[in-house]
Amino acid sequence: MTRLAPVRVVFALALLSSPLAGPAAAQTAGQPATVTVQSTRDPVDKSYRKMIKGMERFARDHALAPNAPLRFQLLPRLPGVNMSGITLRVAGNTVSIPVPVAPDNSFVLPRNEQALREDAAVLASRKTSSMTWRAQIVTPGLPAGTRRLGDMRLECLVGVEAGLVSNSSPLFSWISDALTSPDQVCNSPNGNYLFFADRPVFAVRLRSANGTNERVETLPFNMLYAGGEQTKADLQYCDCQVMLDRTFYAPIWDKSWPDDTLVEFEYMEDTP
Amino acid sequence: MNRLLFAAVLSAILATGCATSSAPPGTQVAAERLQQTVVPGTTTKAQLLEAFGPTKNVVFDSGYEAWVYQSPAGGGRFSEFVVLINPQGIVVKTRTREATLPAR
Repeated sequence: MTRLAPVRVVFALALLSSPLAGPAAAQTAGQPATVTVQSTRDPVDKSYRKMIKGMERFARDHALAPNAPLRFQLLPRLPGVNMSGITLRVAGNTVSIPVPVAPDNSFVLPRNEQALREDAAVLASRKTSSMTWRAQIVTPGLPAGTRRLGDMRLECLVGVEAGLVSNSSPLFSWISDALTSPDQVCNSPNGNYLFFADRPVFAVRLRSANGTNERVETLPFNMLYAGGEQTKADLQYCDCQVMLDRTFYAPIWDKSWPDDTLVEFEYMEDTP
Repeated sequence: MNRLLFAAVLSAILATGCATSSAPPGTQVAAERLQQTVVPGTTTKAQLLEAFGPTKNVVFDSGYEAWVYQSPAGGGRFSEFVVLINPQGIVVKTRTREATLPAR
């Protein structure tokens, strides 16, 4: 279950984004630099088309979680954001479709051909950068305090396909587009797809049964809390910023753990 | 910068970062000492520092802290001993993860 610490990515990006790394290094003194801004679109805006692609991915790979429905969920991204009473709509040039939001801030995205044609956006009644989004795929009837690994595998594929992860640095968004696809992210130990438990976690264990044999393993410390390497400065770029104590990596890439593996949480506090 | 060149440079940096093998982060302390010294509900953060010195830790906005120690288990393997400290500075939980080979 070895994996690459994301802090190295932060370092590499910082290095390569330094003025010495680009054409500016060759700029001669006295000549003003010209900067061309390609787009002012918020990098965390949610594209309706991409989210529908995520739903299509869910349909294609539903065998990973055959009994689970697909919902999406809004989660806090910045300190102090009010997560109560959020409203949501699909907004195109001529179409506006309200989307009901459940008390846990989850929702089902309706399919609408007009909104697809108009390349609509999915807009919430909060500043977009104040929240992050995830797919929520949960098999009914699991024991309390557990998840199912196949559900999480599918959450990753759908979440990446739908463009849900909200790392706020434009450079992160750029590199994400250049180097990653859902299969690359979700099938690699270095994919760095973050999951969030429902409460702060102290330990995460995997448990699978094969006949009379049971395999149980506790995740190493470096798979909790976004690797445990993030500085305050790094955290502002991570959509785990205000949920660090709920954050973990799951070995979704490791096929030696079957889809029916239970992911068990030991919480920091025994009662919610 | 050309995206392919950027990707190649970044891949080289990442590969270099993966190439070494060493003890995982965290102060190394014998497992027996940890078991004998750290008592949930009693041991304080100050006592941990005095006994073992600083180690890898994560401080959360809630005031809780998670500290991790490594215990050599032979053959280049280490077990993990993780301590949860509450906002009042008291150890409230501990756990041990069995020995594994160091991360590569």
